[in-house]
Amino acid sequence: MWIERKVLAQEIPAAAGLATRQLCELLAALGFPVDGVATREGLETLDVDITANRGDAMSHRGLAREIAAKLGQSLKLIPLTEVQEQPPVVEVRLESPACPIYSTAVLELGAGNTPLDVQAFLLALESTPKRLAAVDASNELLHRYGHPTHAFDADRIQGAVSVRWVRPGETLVTLDGTTRTLVVGDLVIADESGPIALAGVMGGDGTKVTEATRRVLLESAWFDPRTVRAVARRHSLHTDASHRFGRGADPAMATVARDLLVGRLQAWCGARLVGAWTVGSRPATAPALDLDESLLTRVAGLRLSLDEASGALQRLGCAVTVRDQGLRVSPPSWRHDLAIAEDLAEEVLRLRGYEHIPSVLPPLEGPPEPLSGAYLQRHRLSRRLAHLGFHQTVTYGFISPEMDALFAAPGNPVEGRTLSNPLGQEYSVLRASLLSSLRASAEQNLRQGAREVRLFELAPTYVSGPQGPTEGHTLGVVWGGTLGGEDFLSPARRVKEADLGGIARDLGLAKLPQVQVLGEDLYGFEIPVAGLPEAGARIIPAFRPFSRFPAVERDLSLLVDLGQSYEALVVAMWSALPSEALLDLRCVDVFRHRSLPEGRQAWLMRMRFQAERTLVGEEVDGWVSAALVAAEALGARLRA
Amino acid sequence: MDHLLPVEILEAGRAFPTALAACGDLDALLRLKGAYVGREGSHAARLMDLLKAAPKEQKRDLGAAINALKQQWEEGLKGRQAELEAAKKNLAALASNWDPALPPPVPAHGALHPLNRLMDRLVEVFRPLGFHVEEGPEVETEAHNFDGLNIPEDHPAKASSDTFYLAAHPELLLRTHTSPVQVRTLLRVAPDLAARGGIRFLAPGRVYRKDEIDPTHSPMFHQVEGMLVGHGIGMQHLKGTLEYALRALFGPHTEIRLRPSYFPFVEPGCEVDVSCPLCAAKGCRVCKGSGWVEILGAGLIHPNVLKYAGIDPTEWSGWAFGMGVERMAMMLSQTPDLRLFFENDQRFLRAMGGLD
Repeated sequence: MWIERKVLAQEIPAAAGLATRQLCELLAALGFPVDGVATREGLETLDVDITANRGDAMSHRGLAREIAAKLGQSLKLIPLTEVQEQPPVVEVRLESPACPIYSTAVLELGAGNTPLDVQAFLLALESTPKRLAAVDASNELLHRYGHPTHAFDADRIQGAVSVRWVRPGETLVTLDGTTRTLVVGDLVIADESGPIALAGVMGGDGTKVTEATRRVLLESAWFDPRTVRAVARRHSLHTDASHRFGRGADPAMATVARDLLVGRLQAWCGARLVGAWTVGSRPATAPALDLDESLLTRVAGLRLSLDEASGALQRLGCAVTVRDQGLRVSPPSWRHDLAIAEDLAEEVLRLRGYEHIPSVLPPLEGPPEPLSGAYLQRHRLSRRLAHLGFHQTVTYGFISPEMDALFAAPGNPVEGRTLSNPLGQEYSVLRASLLSSLRASAEQNLRQGAREVRLFELAPTYVSGPQGPTEGHTLGVVWGGTLGGEDFLSPARRVKEADLGGIARDLGLAKLPQVQVLGEDLYGFEIPVAGLPEAGARIIPAFRPFSRFPAVERDLSLLVDLGQSYEALVVAMWSALPSEALLDLRCVDVFRHRSLPEGRQAWLMRMRFQAERTLVGEEVDGWVSAALVAAEALGARLRA
Repeated sequence: MDHLLPVEILEAGRAFPTALAACGDLDALLRLKGAYVGREGSHAARLMDLLKAAPKEQKRDLGAAINALKQQWEEGLKGRQAELEAAKKNLAALASNWDPALPPPVPAHGALHPLNRLMDRLVEVFRPLGFHVEEGPEVETEAHNFDGLNIPEDHPAKASSDTFYLAAHPELLLRTHTSPVQVRTLLRVAPDLAARGGIRFLAPGRVYRKDEIDPTHSPMFHQVEGMLVGHGIGMQHLKGTLEYALRALFGPHTEIRLRPSYFPFVEPGCEVDVSCPLCAAKGCRVCKGSGWVEILGAGLIHPNVLKYAGIDPTEWSGWAFGMGVERMAMMLSQTPDLRLFFENDQRFLRAMGGLD
């Protein structure tokens, strides 16, 4: 919100002596940081950030009140106009509790227009003067005192005015020229022809003040914040008025603002007051709050005397009485945000200054908790993969239905994972798999010229269920491109499916996951993190003795069918070998060539034996022969 | 004698040395061997067919030409095979006479994502103070995301213009902050809070808000939430903890500053500024010359939040803070565009994330 320094200083003369930087620091220390400073129309203005709870501070007067309280200085009195109330000129009915008070007046406008200094003030706040005294005066009052008012063209109002809930089927053309279909719960100002304004939000086009307007009906009311917020939200109509009423305006200002508006019109354009009157009364004030000394001391962390607290709260406009070890506090009519004792403690501390809060480490009252196994597992997993050459990615949790369908498991319907209001179709589904996102990132890297791409992501994936999607942490890994070839010792080769198998094995997976072909030389797999072995409860596993006798290694080159199952062959050979002496059995080379018999390939099988004694050549030969016989039973032959 | 040979064979002969050098492994070499000197369908096999069919008087010259070519190919293949085999055996011979300045094979490490790295660092910083990590789901209920946090029924954040909802489950949403983890944790520990001696934890995680993607906005981002509940906890304990943590993070000379602010789930609320870690508070582009950078929002837990979880606010009190991870990462790294964190370019990840 823009604040013009001269007008601010008119409200709080003490602010005039402050340098801009000092003023900005003072406002920030009060909880109103200044986002920028600008000069327009020769007037210096500050862009002040006001939090949603402080509707009362959304004006020059409101901030002046804060500065005055902080500095212990007094505010300038509001220069009031004497307006004698009279019996109503037009009947005004309040038919909804959302509008308890409505102050109004009818004036005949004379000649004359908005003073130049007021026009400059409005321009400095980035508000365009309309050069219509009634409109500009209302606008100036809003920025200066924070209370929204409205002027209707009185000659275009038909019959009695009522503040009421909307009736089915009613519409209103608002000041911005938009025809709005009103809905149940909208609060309107209506005459006998129907709605003429959205209460506290925006006036109607049909009754707006123009150059032709001779008589005006003023409105200075108080509307229920909840109602105004709801109307503004329903119609996406966020106005200066709805911001202030929506955050809670000061009901005591309803009549005062009407008087000020009358005074301005009399002064600016010689308007003649036909009649002024008020319907209804101010809403009941909130009950008084009790602030105990102990709570004050606990919140602030320093001893604040009840005297200081009482003084601070009074400077903020509260009525304070001292009671047993505490204060009884009635907040002023403009402070709807003061609802609990903690709010009052905050006010006292705020005026003392947050810089006075001491710095203390909170004592431990119980034993700290360890980090959870699941958290540590993911923490270690990501480090391990990074050390294995993989880059951790962060991709969006929602993807397009097309991308999702590529890897979603059957029985995981997309409907249960779809957003009702996505940013767009491409971000509409909570993903069932990480592979689509990882593939897109990998392809992007390869397109950008990466020779090799190694990525992983640890993130939740979603499974549709009757109670909503369930999410489980998932690990996705992709690897693609060309490996090696960047130094004289490492020949270049394409990444192969088997490379990912190696990663899965390194992660300690008991069962190899299905490696997916994601593109040319691009492979990936994903597994639930819960399926990965967790670090055991023992810090160091139990010792298993190993033999100190030499190991013996033997190779068998076998011709096997191209369709031979490796697992079946290993199982067969393993069972033919003495388990107590066999350390390892694995294929260490595959050879496929036209020189081999049609439909066959050569597997070089390596066996490693070790026992608690020195192994004799002949017994090892015997074992190897037995393994060969077992392999031959599956159709393998010794390669010549 | 070349005039006796077909053009495509001559072409193949010329291409041979390049093709040979391009063979990076023995598989590729075997394929090349098959194409040039294999028994069937190779260039050499075609030449032999040509020789058989040639008129008698040409046979001698043609034979010599063919033999020369075949020999050249075979020798080339053999030589390259030896090279590749030698490479496979790690070129033991090079050990005796090589320039140590030659680029050695460097183990290819990857990188952690910078956002994860920063969150991990925060956890490390708070560990010595007894904080552990609590986590919660990203798909949340309105109750956990809003109601339990003293956020009023008609708060604008609840609107579908700000929060993503699930189509089939209108009561479910993507959490808009990590604060629902507070609610879940407090509900869980409330029954034995006294036996535990209060609770203190961090909640790092991903959150979602309906923002269009641009250099400073993303519909998904990360937060780290911190919370502490104990007896007699006040603003001094918030300040003390944050001062410790931010000094551990940015260096011992770091200063912090609390400014009043407002969040529905705390009272009093504050914004916390840290003396600019990039210019030692002298004033720079990042701190806009002020020497201070806004780093997080915090405050004392609102009594309604404790009450919602079944904790008596007259006995217990505490503080909470919430910090935007991307914002901090961008500030520290001066990354100009938030989208870089989600593009996952390996060059960015290596440079920004790295390894511990």
